[in-house]
Amino acid sequence: MIKFLGYYIICIMKVNLEAIKDLLLGVEKPSRYTGGEFGVPEMQESAFDFCMCFPDLYEVGMSNLGIKIVAESIRKRGFCADFCFAPYKDFGRGLKERGAPLYSLALKKPLKEFDMLGFSLQFELCYTNVLYMLDLAGIPLLRSERKDGSYPLIAVGGPCAVNPEPLADFVDVVFIGDGESIDADVAEIYVKHGGATEEFYKEISALDGVYCPALTRPVYEGGRIKEFEGVAKIKKALVKNLDGAVFPEEFAVPNCESVHDRAVIEVMRGCYRGCRFCQAGFIYRPVRRRSVETLTAQACALIKNTGYDEVSLNSLSTGDYPRLRELLKSLKQGLPDGVKLALPSLRADSFDGDFAQDSRRVSLTFAPEAGSQRLRDVINKDITLEEILRAAESAFDAGYSAVKLYFMLGLPTETDEDLEEINRICAYIKGAYRKKPRAKQLRISVSCSTFIPKPFTPFQWESQASEQEIERKQNVLKQTLRVKGVNLSWSDNFTARLEAVLARGDRRLCKVIMNAYENGCIFDSWDKELNKNGWIKAFADTGTDMREYTRERNEDEILAWDFIDVGVTKKFLLSERKKAYCGSVTGSCLSGCKGCGLQPDCEAANGGGK
Amino acid sequence: MIAFRYTKTDGAEYLSHLDLLRHIDRTLKRAQIKVKTSEGYNPHPRIFMNNPLGLGVKSVAEYCAADCDCTGDFAEAFNASSPSGIKCLAYREVAENPNFAYTIKSCGYCAEGIAAFDPEEILSRKSIVLTDTRGRQTDIRERIYALEFKDGKLFFTAGCGEKNLRPDFFCAFLEKTFGGRTHSVLKLCAFGENTF
Repeated sequence: MIKFLGYYIICIMKVNLEAIKDLLLGVEKPSRYTGGEFGVPEMQESAFDFCMCFPDLYEVGMSNLGIKIVAESIRKRGFCADFCFAPYKDFGRGLKERGAPLYSLALKKPLKEFDMLGFSLQFELCYTNVLYMLDLAGIPLLRSERKDGSYPLIAVGGPCAVNPEPLADFVDVVFIGDGESIDADVAEIYVKHGGATEEFYKEISALDGVYCPALTRPVYEGGRIKEFEGVAKIKKALVKNLDGAVFPEEFAVPNCESVHDRAVIEVMRGCYRGCRFCQAGFIYRPVRRRSVETLTAQACALIKNTGYDEVSLNSLSTGDYPRLRELLKSLKQGLPDGVKLALPSLRADSFDGDFAQDSRRVSLTFAPEAGSQRLRDVINKDITLEEILRAAESAFDAGYSAVKLYFMLGLPTETDEDLEEINRICAYIKGAYRKKPRAKQLRISVSCSTFIPKPFTPFQWESQASEQEIERKQNVLKQTLRVKGVNLSWSDNFTARLEAVLARGDRRLCKVIMNAYENGCIFDSWDKELNKNGWIKAFADTGTDMREYTRERNEDEILAWDFIDVGVTKKFLLSERKKAYCGSVTGSCLSGCKGCGLQPDCEAANGGGK
Repeated sequence: MIAFRYTKTDGAEYLSHLDLLRHIDRTLKRAQIKVKTSEGYNPHPRIFMNNPLGLGVKSVAEYCAADCDCTGDFAEAFNASSPSGIKCLAYREVAENPNFAYTIKSCGYCAEGIAAFDPEEILSRKSIVLTDTRGRQTDIRERIYALEFKDGKLFFTAGCGEKNLRPDFFCAFLEKTFGGRTHSVLKLCAFGENTF
């Protein structure tokens, strides 16, 4: 009876699109909010209703593979998994004005009526958008205000979850590591206990990859963390075999064009390289690969079911996939004519003109990250100018006429000489282009982002250069970059600083984030939306100094994310930090195991991987 | 070449024209109906649509032609692979591009929610000048071909193509003049030498 009643209430609680028609017609791209995409499976309410939430726009979220995998894993267990994306300001405002709640796309069910909302944290600047979505859903932001059990569980996962503390006061469950099975395991346990009971929390917190902030408390002494009360180390969830892992055969084809509107296969997870600034290179270890057979089958199924004409071969470094040539051949044979292949993450040393032969792209992106060989050795980029030039030449010969170069400013040990070397790279690339007569004029764009020290990297102890220092470095670059026709751009200084604070933040930042949201900060990663004053006020009003978070950490200090175990040992990270200061390159895992701590689960460490 | 009539309902009325084209292209790909491509530097599928429909206007009379060969039942194949709001209602084999964007001269619509008024009141006017979203002033009177109330619903025929009258604009004008609130505009049919 109660169940029947519950069902009845849910039924009348659905959001009716006709009722908000005038709102839909008054906003930009209404098809973001209507659902009904081709390829969305038939959905019905189930014993456990999950809504995968993405704290960015529809077009961005619909291109994300991770959330599709998590939703698929939940559906595979017989539960419902719907989607919701952050609405743009016009629609969000309209919902609020009408008192209409934020709803899921397929069922049009208010988010408040779900059993669990899972937010995917792709980067730190989306944190206020998580609060924005909760607020639009009519869900109290703070966990302490949701105690009566009438609200869904609020969960987060994704790369930023490796340091979940800045969101600790808002969330009930944090998923750390691979999302293929852990989210669905928690769903089953929830159903078993009939809700988020004490037993439920006890059982899930014993699992690898689950962190419940309510059960732990950091203890401070003199402004530094002294200990974590109530928590032992939390190991990340690890999927050992990607070939057997859940992968959707069908994608929902977005109503309006998404940022990467194409089919995606995940060739590998993890990276053999270990560039010292790169968080993904450490938290996704060990490298796991899918077989050529699995990848071909997945790509063919996706193309057949979606009608896309492009497949992207995703990984952190697709050129390191040992059977890449074989894979490309197999895909070309298996896929219908005219389907393009995209290789978005190729290192310069693995780029080969052959890979580009049949696509008509004009622009190629390289990421040398640092101007000089010395600095590239410091960050373990393990790439030489010769390799960059060889790759550029082979790209030019294949018809490319534009090069994008990514660099970082403010890397540890960086000097002005290192910055001046960026000019030299541009000059050499121009020289390589001029070796042969070519039809078009070469375009070079240099994009400099600010270095942000991230947890679980060998640079997690480093300070971030001050805004003044970064500005000075940008000026040095402007003055020394003398090659004509180079287009120089850089990231916003305040944004980089904010990202750095949030990345290595602790639980004390919850009140800053809350405050910033109340000051109207959302879509912080957008240049035109960033509300710098709102953030500055939030830091000031809460008495929080940004410098406390961008400062260098002592090596013996307890870090806010130390209770999380991503498998890479602190000892290894420290040794990598030392090697960085000696300018010593560690090199790829494929050239021999470097002993990062994940050897028992690592194919490459055990002689495989070639 | 196949010419077909299809719907734009069930949420598809919120799709922009370009997104709609993309959906038709992908539907045909999923249905494994091979569409010929243009022979240029940037080949694109030879799919020809009628004029864009205003956002939010539903339709059961959108027309499209695709340069393809389809041996089986085109509608069945298309509908098995199309989004729920885009469904083929009728189709026929044609020798050449019917050029719906040019040949469709007027369309019939049905609007609900506008307060009842005497159609003669509009039809007897000599001129009705409206300002469109781009600030241009247009006399729409000569673009209204028929207007009548039936069962509380307003049925009207308006110009399309060169002498286009956006049905949602027209309804907004009627709302302003006679009151009520349009909650649905549906395109029922299109008139032109090649429609069916």
